[in-house]
Amino acid sequence: MKPQERSELIDALLDGAISEADFLRLEAELHVDEKARRDYYERLELTTLLEIQAEAEAADLEERIVPMPATGRRTAWFATAGIAAVILGAIALLSVVWAPDPAGGPLAAKIDSRLEPSATGFAVLTNQADAVWDSGGALTEGDLMPQGDLHLTSGVIQVEFFSGVTVILEGEADFTIHSPMEMSVRRGKLRARVPAPAKGFRIRTAEGELVDLGTEFGLDVTEQHSEVHVLDGEVEWSPKSEAMRRLAKGKAIRSGNGGGTVELSAQPGAFIDATGLEEKRAAVRASRRSAWLTHSRELRRDSRLLAYYPFDQPAHWNRTLTDESGSRLDGAIVAAQRSTDRFGFPAGALDFSPTGSRVRVNVPGEHRSLTFLCWVRIDSLDRWYNSLFLTDGHELGEPHWQIMDDGRLFFSVKKRDATKKQKDKQVFYSPAFWTPALSGRWLQIATTLDLDARKVTHYLNGKILSEEAIEDEYLVEIVRIGPASIGNWSDPSRDDPHFAVRNFNGSMDEFAIFGTALSATEIAELYENGKP
Amino acid sequence: MEIPDSENGGPRGPSAPDVAPDSEIVALLTDHQVAIRLYVHSLMPGDSSALDVVQQTNATLWQKRGDFELGTNFKAWAFSIARYEVLNYRKRQARDARLVFNEDLENVIAEELPNRSGDFDSRREALAACLAKLKDSDRNLIVHRYFKRAPLAEYAEQVGRSVGGLKVTLHRIRNALQKCIQQNLLTGEARP
Repeated sequence: MKPQERSELIDALLDGAISEADFLRLEAELHVDEKARRDYYERLELTTLLEIQAEAEAADLEERIVPMPATGRRTAWFATAGIAAVILGAIALLSVVWAPDPAGGPLAAKIDSRLEPSATGFAVLTNQADAVWDSGGALTEGDLMPQGDLHLTSGVIQVEFFSGVTVILEGEADFTIHSPMEMSVRRGKLRARVPAPAKGFRIRTAEGELVDLGTEFGLDVTEQHSEVHVLDGEVEWSPKSEAMRRLAKGKAIRSGNGGGTVELSAQPGAFIDATGLEEKRAAVRASRRSAWLTHSRELRRDSRLLAYYPFDQPAHWNRTLTDESGSRLDGAIVAAQRSTDRFGFPAGALDFSPTGSRVRVNVPGEHRSLTFLCWVRIDSLDRWYNSLFLTDGHELGEPHWQIMDDGRLFFSVKKRDATKKQKDKQVFYSPAFWTPALSGRWLQIATTLDLDARKVTHYLNGKILSEEAIEDEYLVEIVRIGPASIGNWSDPSRDDPHFAVRNFNGSMDEFAIFGTALSATEIAELYENGKP
Repeated sequence: MEIPDSENGGPRGPSAPDVAPDSEIVALLTDHQVAIRLYVHSLMPGDSSALDVVQQTNATLWQKRGDFELGTNFKAWAFSIARYEVLNYRKRQARDARLVFNEDLENVIAEELPNRSGDFDSRREALAACLAKLKDSDRNLIVHRYFKRAPLAEYAEQVGRSVGGLKVTLHRIRNALQKCIQQNLLTGEARP
C-alpha cells in the first residue's frame, strides 16, 4: 500500500466512512508496519485535538474560527468544559455504567482483581544483606513491610517509607512501623534520612520520642539507653520526664532508661549508610553467584541436558547465546538487551521487553519427556500470552510454554489440527502464581512433561504448583522442538491469529531444557543452588 | 512473616498514605483527558460513540479512585479501564457490530500509544495557530466537520460541491495542518 493511499484510508477510517474491505487491508498494514501505525497515531492525535479544540471553542463559534489565545486558558480550557463533565458524568453515569454485569463476565472479574490493591503497608523493603528474621520467613526486595512487631535477628535492611523516609536498620532489631510517619524501636541501630516533605517523622523508644525536622540521624537503642546522633540538620528529642531538646548537626545525646541524659558528639561512622549496605549486599550476592557458578559448571556435564543457556556472557556486542550443554545449540539473540541478572551482576541476563525480542534456537531430536526451566523477572504480563519458549508455528508434537496474562503458566503439546469438533491440544494450566506484587522479582519457573507417566507438572521456586494427567485423547507418541524461540513466538502468520508476536516483558537469566522429566527433588535442588 | 491480606477497595480515610485524595484524582483525570480520549479513539476509530465511552471511562475511574495509589502509573491504570470500557461497550452493541481491530493490533496499540509524547498542550497551541492560517473556505470545511459535526453531504449541498471532492479537500487540509503543527513545534513559532 502506498503512503498516499494509506493516509486516505486512515482518514476514511477516522471519519467512520471506510468499507469493510479497506478496513481489513488497513488493519493488516497497521499490524505489520510500524510506520503505518505512526501515521495512524499522528492522524488520530490531529483529529482528536481538532475535536477538543472544537468543543472548547463551541461557545464562540458561528461561522468562523476564532483561534484560541495560546496562553492563559491553557489550564482553563479543560477545566471549564471538561471537569464539570467528568464529575457530573461520573455521578450521572455511575448507576448506568457500572450496573453489575448480569453475566458477571470473567473480564469484569479480571479487571477488578487487577485494580484491587494486592497488599497494604506503609513501607517497602528496598535493600537487604543477609537479613534473617525471627519468624524464619523471608522478605524480598520490593516487599511491603509487614505490620505488627518485627524482629530482625541479624543482617541489614533498607526500608523506604511511603512518606519518603529511608531507614537503614542493623540487626538485631525489634521494631514496629505504625504509619509512613511513625515507627517505634525497642532495640537496634538505625540510620534515617528524612527528606523535607517527610519533616515530622517520629520514632518512639522506651526512653523518649524523636521528631525529625528534615535531616539525617542515627539512633541506637539498647536495653539500657537510647542514643540519638544528628548527622545532618536538626531533630527534637523528648526524653521521658524531661523537657524537649533540640539537637543540631554534630550533636548526640544518650538517655538512660532510668533517666539521666548525657551529651555526646555525633559519630556518623557508627551507623551503616546506604553505600555500606550496598557494599555488604554486593559481597553477599557475589558469594551466592560464585556458589551458583560452581553448581552451574557441574550441571553443564549433565548428559540429560538438551540445551543449557546460563546467560553468563557479559559482552554487549555478543549476540550469540552460548549453549553450555555440549550440544552446541547456540542461540541467536534478536533485539533483546543485556540486563542485570538475579545476583545483581550487570549484563548477566537478557531483557526481552524491546519489541521483537527473542533468542532463536534449534533443538533437534525426538523425546518422550522434557523439562523446561528458567529464571525470570517478570515486569508485567500485559500480553494475553507471554512467551517463555515456543516452537515456530504450531506443528504436531511441538510444545508451547508461556504465561497467561492472569498469571497462570501454560503448557501444551499439539496433538492434531483443530477442527470444529475437536480441540488441537490439551492445555495444562497452573494456578495463577503471578500478581503485580511480584513485579521485578526473580523467580524460578519449571515445567516437566512425562509421556510415560502421562503427566505435566508446573513448578515455581522449586515447589510444585500443579500436576495434571494427560488425557488419552491428547497423548502424543513423541515430542519434538526444532526451530524455536526463547521469549517470543516466531512465524505468527500461520494458523491461529490469536497468537502473534508476544515477547516476554521482563528479563530471563539461565534457561535449561532437559530431555527428561526432572524429579521434584531435582528441581528443588536446582532452585536452592541457583537462588539469588 | 505474613503480609496482611489485601484490603477491600473503595475510598479510604485520609490517614491511608497511598490513596490519592480526591483533588489529586481530579487533577490526574484532568491532565489525562486528551490521552484517554486518544486511546479510546484509537480503538474505536470513526465511531461517534467514542465520546460516550470516554465519559464512561471517566465515571469508572472516578468511582474506582479508591483503588488508585499515588505514585503508580495513572496513565496505565486509566488505559486499562478505558480498554475495558471499550470492550464493555462492544459487548452491549454486539448486534450492530462495527468494524473492530483484531485483538493483536489492539494489544500493539495499547503498548505503543502510552509511550508517545503526552505533551498535548503545545500541540494544541500549534494547532490553534495553524487553524488561523487556513484560508477561509478550508477553515469553513473544518468548522463544519469538527465544530458542527454535521454530515458532509449537508455541507456539500450548501457549497455546491460533491461529497467525494470534499473528502479529498479534508484530506489535504489535514495533511497541511499536520505539517504546520510539526513545523511550529520545531521552530516554536506557535508559541507566544
